[in-house]
Parts: sequence; C-alpha cells; structure tokens
Amino acid sequence: MGRLVLVRREQAIKGGQPLAFLIGIVTALLIGILLLVISGHDPMAVYERMFDSSVGSPRSWSITLNRAVPLGLAGLAVAVAGSMGLWNIGAEGQILAGAMMAAWIARIGEGWPSPLLITVMLLAAILGGALLGLGPAVARAQIGVNEIITTLMLNEVALRMLQWLIHGPWKDPESRGFPLAPILPDEARLPDLFERAHWGALIALVVIALFGLVASKTAWGYELRVAGSSGETARYAGISLKRKIMTVLVLSGGIAGLAGGIELSGNADRIVEGVSAGYGFAGIIVAALALMRPSGVAAVALLFGAVQVGGLSIQTMGVSSSVSTILQALILFGAIGAGVFSKYSVKRVRKEQQTRQGSQNE
Amino acid sequence: MSEASMIGLLTAAVSFGALLYLAALGELICEKAGILNLGVEGMMAMGAVTGFMVALETENPWLALVVAMLVGAVFALIHGLFTVVLGAEQVVSGLSLTILGLGMAAFVGKDAVGRPPGAVLAPVDWGALSDIPWVGPILFSQSPIVYFAILVGVATSFVLTRTSTGLALRGAGESASTVDASGHSVVQLRLGAVAMGGALAGASGAYLTLSLTPQWTEGVTAGRGWIAVALVIFGAWRPGRCAIGALLFGGLLALKTRLQTFGVDLSPILLSMIPYVLTIGVLIIISIRARNRPSSAPAALGQAYRREER
Repeated sequence: MGRLVLVRREQAIKGGQPLAFLIGIVTALLIGILLLVISGHDPMAVYERMFDSSVGSPRSWSITLNRAVPLGLAGLAVAVAGSMGLWNIGAEGQILAGAMMAAWIARIGEGWPSPLLITVMLLAAILGGALLGLGPAVARAQIGVNEIITTLMLNEVALRMLQWLIHGPWKDPESRGFPLAPILPDEARLPDLFERAHWGALIALVVIALFGLVASKTAWGYELRVAGSSGETARYAGISLKRKIMTVLVLSGGIAGLAGGIELSGNADRIVEGVSAGYGFAGIIVAALALMRPSGVAAVALLFGAVQVGGLSIQTMGVSSSVSTILQALILFGAIGAGVFSKYSVKRVRKEQQTRQGSQNE
Repeated sequence: MSEASMIGLLTAAVSFGALLYLAALGELICEKAGILNLGVEGMMAMGAVTGFMVALETENPWLALVVAMLVGAVFALIHGLFTVVLGAEQVVSGLSLTILGLGMAAFVGKDAVGRPPGAVLAPVDWGALSDIPWVGPILFSQSPIVYFAILVGVATSFVLTRTSTGLALRGAGESASTVDASGHSVVQLRLGAVAMGGALAGASGAYLTLSLTPQWTEGVTAGRGWIAVALVIFGAWRPGRCAIGALLFGGLLALKTRLQTFGVDLSPILLSMIPYVLTIGVLIIISIRARNRPSSAPAALGQAYRREER
C-alpha cells in the first residue's frame, strides 16, 4: 500500500493553462446540466437560450461586450497587483468609489460640453479608485499591513458610503422613497459604438493593451515581475520594493475606479446600490484564470460577460439567474483543478520510500 | 431612552454577537491551521438555506441545524480540496467558494422565498433565571444557538491551548514542516480545521433562518460573513478577544435599527462602517507591534504546504 502524492513535473505541460481553462468550462457545463436536470429544467434549452442571448447576434454581442468591460478592467486591476504577488481584493469597493466620483462630477459639471464632462468624470473615477487603493498601499509598503484584509474591509466601507449617499444627500426627490440617485444627464453618457455597446469597450481594450505592453516590453514591467517572484533578488537589483508596492496598488485601484466610471457613464444611468454587480469579486476570478496576464484577462472577461448575460436571459424561462454565478465559480474550480495537473503529476509513494525521502530532506 | 429599549438593544447585541461569533470561531480555527478561507459568506448562505429547507421538509429545527452544519462542512471541504490537497491560491479559492455558495443558495432556495418557516428554534427557558431583571432577558432567554456559540468558544480556546491536537493544529499554521516532522499529518489537520470552519459557518447561517430572521431570502447573510472574517483579526486570533469583539460588532448591528429609538441623529448606514474601520485599525496596530515581537497572526497563514517541496 502507498499513498498518492503530487510531484512537480520537470516542465509544465505546454499550453496547459488554455487547456485547463477549457476543462474548467466543460466541467462547469456538465455540473450545470446536472443541477438543471435535478431542478426540472431542460438543460439544452437553457444553454441554447444563454448562448443566443449572449453571442447569438450582433445585438447580443454588444450586450456581452458591455458586461465584459467592467469585468476586464477589474480583472486587469487584480492582475496588475497580482503580477507583483500582491492581492487587491478591493476592486469591488474601488469600482464603487470610481462610480461615486464620476457621479459627483456629473452633478457639479452641469452644462459642460459632453466630451469634457465625460473625460473629467472618468479621470475622477480613476482618482477615486486610486484613493481607495492608497490606504492599503501605504499601510503595506510602510508597515507591512496585509493588503488582502485592508482592501477587503474597504469594500464594505465604500459600499456603506454609497448606500449613505443614495439614502441621504444624493437621493432623487422623485424616486418615491426608493434609494436611488437622480438619472444622469445625457451629456454624461458615453456614446454608443454599435447596437447597445458603448465606447467603454474601446477604452478598456486600450487600457488592457497598454498595460500588456508596459508589462512585457519595459524595464518597469520587468522589475515588477522580478519583485513579484523574489523580493530578495529585487533588493539586490536595486529595485525599491516600497515604491513598487505603492505604485502597483494605487495603479490597481485606479484601473478598478475607471471600471466604475465607465459602468456608470456607459451602462447604469444612475447610482444605485447594485451599480457594480459583483464585478470586483468576479475580476479576481478573471485574473486568476488569466494567470495575471493582461491578454488572458480580456479573453476571460469576454467569456464571463457572456455567461452573465446568458444567466440574466434565462430568468424568463423560470430558471434562477444564479445558474450563471454557479457556472463562473465552477469554471474556476475546474480550471485550477486541471491547472494543478499540468504542473504536477500524481505518483504513488510506498511507505518505505516516503520515510527515506523524509530522512533525505532532514 | 427607556429601560425596555436598552434591554432590547443588549438582548439583540448578544443574539447578533453569537451569530458573528460562531462563524468567526470557524474562521479562527481554519486560520490557526494556516488556511485563510474567504468563503465564509458563501458557507453561511449554504447553512442558512439548508437549515430553512430542512425545517420546511421535516419541521424539526434540530435536524435542520445538524444538516446545515454538515452541508457547511462538506462545502468547506471544496476549499480544503483545492487549497490543502492541490495547493491552489487560498484567496482565489475562498472567494470562489463565496460566489459558488451565494449562487447555490439562491438556486436551491428559489421556491422557498417568502414561505413561512417550517420550524424555529425556540428560546431556552431557564426558569427563574429568565425572570431576573436585565440579566434574565439579555442572557437567559436566548436561542439555544447562543449558548452553543459560547460553548464552542470555550471549547475552541481549551483545545487550541491545552491539548496536543490544538498544539499540532497551531503548528500547522506556524510551521507546517515542523509539525510534519513530528509525525502529524498536515493535510489531515488542515482539512479538519477547514471542515470545522465550514460546520460553524453553516451553524451561523442556520441560526439566521431558524431563529433570528426565520425566513429565506436571497442575500439573507447580508455581508455578515465578511464581518466574521474581520472579527478574527479584530480579536487577534484569540477566542476570548473575539467574543468581546463579537459583542461589540453585534451591538453595532443591533443598534443600527434602533438609532431613532435612542434619539441619535446619525445615519445607521454610517454606523455599520465602524466594524470594518476598527478592524483595519487593529490590523495596523498588530502590524506595527509585529516589528518588535512575534506577530499574533499565524506565520504560515495563506501558504500552501507541499511535503515534497519543503
């Protein structure tokens, strides 16, 4: 008798991650079928509706694209921090901060020409997200405070801030008691690209491509990866870790903030509690599936956008939209499961062998 | 401010405190073993929906509680499988567990929305004790789960500090290879801790739907799982301090709906920011202190352990 252990392969299987991703999708779809059958739905009809409504026509594509924008930017925000081994769990709060700042500009910028207003709104959104990232950045760089917890806590703080605004100072007097901010003026809305898609898709694409270039082609990007893989090496190479941590976390916050600004200006017509539909949290999954690479982020965001749009469409069939939530989490679990096996192989270890290995290591 | 409303506030503070305390104790055990599980909110949701559904079917609240804890434990083991066995990133796996749990709970409970509860856990009657002014209503007329939470708190403290299992468990969170070398299985210890964390989060969720707000709606957990995560840090990974924190945070939750009664002109929403801000403050203090002496945070928290790579 022996037991099974994971042994690192000398070389990871080539193309392992895309393959793992695919396995994740298939696993998720299979478990989804099981859930749908148990709950008495026709899985194929449900999947067909999800497919049609998300990528079946130019109009569907445009809706999916809109959804992929905040997912992609949130994913990029997480990936930027992740490429240095830092976790920004606060993208959700930073998105809200960005949306609030953009809404504030829209309030004070009444009568400004539309291009000016939108530009200032988006810049303010970046600033808002960056400010929310600044606290954890300083705390991590100067005192070594765990950024996972601080960014996580600030999500809740930002959400309460937004709730307070729409229940109080920003409440629309014509909302009949509902906690809603007033509808944005037309000048504050991002123009359309095609069908339902707005300009946000282009902005997101440029930002993602830009960061992809910076990360892979510049010395700054190289230093980032060195710092991420080994703080010790980075110090030898004269890279200031403190400054890198600060820059990266603030930048990450700014990108998430931009997502909030675009979402407000392009998609939501006003500030409501659900102005971010969990994009910040989904962004973490997106970044993880993309292995923190910008190019991967765009692709995964598009897929998740499609799954989310599909999920909303099946509500009319009497199926809970939570199916899409479940699918997203399952894709990730399936993919990390498969991903492990692209880097590790399973070996059976006998008892004696095990102890010998143990004594060798000691 | 009348006496009755003060008693009402303190009673609710204890009730909400126990809710947070149960989930926080689970997370504490898990983190002590070196595993960060950000899936608390999802596990709570699973416990809440399971408890409610089983109560609907069987009309037996105790069975509902037990099943909710089992489901919580099994659900948590997904996180265990991916992080402990396969060595995946704990942050990603935990958050995915939250997303999966919220989604599954909404899916499973779709038809139970708005239905009256099948059964509720009745408050314990302590006889004469329940009639003592102030103390009676606040401490001796609570749901059985409140006393369960206190019991679990004492037991956790005892096991962690006084038993060899507790020592090994803490070892798994401080220096896994040392524990491994001493003959304990790090994998078993960590999986056990993760499952225990899930069971307690499940109990906390079931407490919601079987006692505190006996009905099922999507989002019934309302971010309380995150407060539980905060509570562990606020209590510096100590069951006793977490209990104090639970009463404080529970009190804030209780105060939220009562501000007007007390004639305080403050938005209840701003009040609910306090736990998170306090937790950040405590974390900063812990981090500053950690420069001069050992930190109270488990040293290996968040790190995967692979025997072959030690």
